[in-house]
Amino acid sequence: MTLHQGAAARPWVDRVLAINGWMIFAFLYMPILMVVVFSFSASPNVGRWGGFTLAWYDRMLGNEQLMNSLRNSVIVALLSTVVATILGTAAAIALDRYRKWVGRGTFDAVVYLPIIIPDVTMAVMLLLWFTSIGMSLGLGTIALSHIAFNISFVAVVVRARLANMDPAMEEAAADLYADRWQAFRKVTFPLIMPGVLGGALLALTLSLDDVVITSFVQGPGSTTLPVYVFGLIKRSVTPEINAVSTLMMVMSVGLVLTSLMFQSRADRTDRQRRRRKS
Amino acid sequence: MTLPDQHEQVEQEAVNPRLERKARKQESWRGFFHAAPAYVYLTFFFTLPLIMVYVFSFASRGPTGKPRLEDWNFDSWSKLTEPLFREIALRSLWMAILNTALCLLIGYPFAYWIATRASQKTRTLLLVGVLIPFWSNFLIRTYAWRMLLDSDGLITQLGEWTGFWGQLLFTPTAVFIGLLYGYLPFVVLPLYAAIERLDWTLVEAGRDLYASGSAAFRKITLPLSKPGIVAGSILVFIPSLGAYVTPDILGGAKTTLLGNYIVTQFTAARNWPFGSAMSGAILILMLAATILYFRTDTRTI
Amino acid sequence: MTDTTPAVSLHGVTKRFGEEVVAVDDVDLEIQDGEFFSLLGPSGCGKTTTLRMIAGLEFPTKGSVRIHGEEMGLRPPNKRPVNTVFQSYALFPHMNVAGNVGFGLRMQNVNDSEVRRRVGEAIDLVRLTGLEKRSPKALSGGQQQRVALARALVNSPKVLLLDEPLGALDLKLRQTMQLELKDIQNEIGITFVYVTHDQGEALTMSDRIAVMNEGRLAQVGSAEQVYESPQNLFVAGFVGQMCHLDAVVVESGSVRLNGGELLRARTSAPNSTAVTLTVRPEKLHLYSSAAEAPPDRNAIKGSVVRRTFYGEAVEYEVQIGVSGSVEVRVENVPSMHRWEIGDQVIVDFHPEAAMALTE
Repeated sequence: MTLHQGAAARPWVDRVLAINGWMIFAFLYMPILMVVVFSFSASPNVGRWGGFTLAWYDRMLGNEQLMNSLRNSVIVALLSTVVATILGTAAAIALDRYRKWVGRGTFDAVVYLPIIIPDVTMAVMLLLWFTSIGMSLGLGTIALSHIAFNISFVAVVVRARLANMDPAMEEAAADLYADRWQAFRKVTFPLIMPGVLGGALLALTLSLDDVVITSFVQGPGSTTLPVYVFGLIKRSVTPEINAVSTLMMVMSVGLVLTSLMFQSRADRTDRQRRRRKS
Repeated sequence: MTLPDQHEQVEQEAVNPRLERKARKQESWRGFFHAAPAYVYLTFFFTLPLIMVYVFSFASRGPTGKPRLEDWNFDSWSKLTEPLFREIALRSLWMAILNTALCLLIGYPFAYWIATRASQKTRTLLLVGVLIPFWSNFLIRTYAWRMLLDSDGLITQLGEWTGFWGQLLFTPTAVFIGLLYGYLPFVVLPLYAAIERLDWTLVEAGRDLYASGSAAFRKITLPLSKPGIVAGSILVFIPSLGAYVTPDILGGAKTTLLGNYIVTQFTAARNWPFGSAMSGAILILMLAATILYFRTDTRTI
Repeated sequence: MTDTTPAVSLHGVTKRFGEEVVAVDDVDLEIQDGEFFSLLGPSGCGKTTTLRMIAGLEFPTKGSVRIHGEEMGLRPPNKRPVNTVFQSYALFPHMNVAGNVGFGLRMQNVNDSEVRRRVGEAIDLVRLTGLEKRSPKALSGGQQQRVALARALVNSPKVLLLDEPLGALDLKLRQTMQLELKDIQNEIGITFVYVTHDQGEALTMSDRIAVMNEGRLAQVGSAEQVYESPQNLFVAGFVGQMCHLDAVVVESGSVRLNGGELLRARTSAPNSTAVTLTVRPEKLHLYSSAAEAPPDRNAIKGSVVRRTFYGEAVEYEVQIGVSGSVEVRVENVPSMHRWEIGDQVIVDFHPEAAMALTE
């Protein structure tokens, strides 16, 4: 066995680490695999296998409330992603490419806060705010809330990408007669595109996943999928929830893999460029 | 980098400090306008709401539970000293600390394994393997344990069969498991990043200077991965403190945490000002923790 | 009737960052059309900042930058008739070689067929024919450097600015590229302004050199002038190797070393000034006795204390009594005498080769 970096002199360490590693993977995947498996179980009792069936998926697709909430989720997610990506990208450019402007310090601090603040606190904040300005709760307030935390996530991801980009690129573009807008369109934007997409996918996922904030700021009658499922879970545990869960997981995993594909293509370019420079 | 701006001057004149200042100012405004939309948005939908939390915390509780700002007082804040709150707060703090510690304890060897024992290609696959549960819906992941720990759940069956445990649902243990499960990936990623970035020649140098395997680890590898440990801790501790979904689904009345308690104020208990005060307190604690983090400084997030 | 307007002229150019940092301090320069002009100096001396001010990537705090007589003022880089070859090359990774080279032309709205023609010419000029469709990532360092060059030259700029373009290349490649750059410059006749910290590079390639130190010009002149007649100790020490001996001016053209030796040298300082006598190692010669040394030159006694073999030459460190020590460079030829440590020698040199400098 070749010595990997940091490898210990004794082989038993390797073995222990590997066993530990695989056990943790089992720990991570077992529960969600169980959910998927039991979504096909005919028994209404979740825990005892009752034979293969697609009945729960059928029930799920026929559940009008559920389908509505799914529709709402998608609408809110798409809307908040688009807005947050535009605002977040512009903010990232402001922070990375412009060293000095009015309120930069404060903004730099504020933009990171929504990322670390607990959901509950954010939910309370926004509920109180909407109440005090007299805004009625509904899909609109949900979207506004999602945009609020998504801006930060997009900004952080895009900013990381910008920081990795050689600033001389934009200087070269200007040196070669491009005006600001041309330089952005032809040089900067194509180069940060993986970051922008990555940020957008992150925003999409976060929006689709959100439970606490949405439940606080939603109005009567309109809800999103996770909040609906949350309600279901608290009422009673049936395999229909397993079916919905499986659906949601497939959506998340799909988004993740797409985002990773973009990221890896971009990272490969960066690594090559960095290796050449050293 | 500053791309100098265009000036509509028919005749260019030689530069003097006044002109240069003007150019720099224009540049500065450019930067401001890029950030302005996000800045305005966050001011309205983050900063001002943040202030509202503190404003409402001084309000008094109206007959319907909605707050009345006119009669302001310190009642909500003084409620923070009551035994019930203190019990819940301490329990939450304890759970958050324990959870963070467990996550680090379990996550570190795991991250270490991926970073050092896997080939480049395998590493990517393993990381994707960690990312998939990480990105799956938090609610679903918590629900999975609800399903497993229920009276007919697989884990319960296993426990009854081996005789080691009974139904775990609605006990503190269930909440622990749920928190650990939920936040483990949050700690693995920054740890992995820090370990992967380590300069292994330093460890080799240590071995060259007669350090044993475990000594080299303790004195070189571990301290050098500190930025990852700190980053992972923050990413787990603060959300754990405000956990709501996990204790709500997996815990019972005995395991009320801060998150649940706050939410109750806005639903059943109808005491908005108190809920605000508690939220405000968490924010202050969170701010303290963040400042601590930035003092140890890292960029591993 | 030839146009004698300088290609680039800087007048009173100063650049200050914040309150304390003065990167460039009151620089006056005139670069003639068609010259290969180098800005030479150690890191932080302000040479790159000066170049960027010509390019328009920075604005001076004060002063005037003129290109072919036209005041640039606060004009942005895309409105200046100059192009830059960046230190990191800054090739656009999302375009291939042809895309990169043609970028500037497309930004100026040149029509497609014209772009294709000129790009082809530029790529031929830098000898990268056949690599048009390659992506920058798939090129070697030397090839990338040429693409950067072609990308700048294709726009027929009035002045080409180069910011340490050969820094990332290994020694052999660097030497080849130096000659190539010089050939290209001769062929197309554009003014080159070249920034480097490598004095050997500046000497071999430049028509004239501006040596900079801490934001100010230390000396401006041709390669020979800067090398043979440094005007101050900084230039003397920075460009090429130099021996230093403390001395005092006795009378015009004559100095006395600490140990009492009297020597003839080029001086302009008044009598009794403390000076540093400087002379280049290759201008010193070793003889075993004064009789062997040519007459009418400086000859001082010393003893060999160290011998270093450089391949093409051998350097001897010779201690001159209490006056200090000098390095003597002897070319490695068949007739070379091999001196040993401890040998008592006579160090001989022409008075014109020695300069007494005050600062």
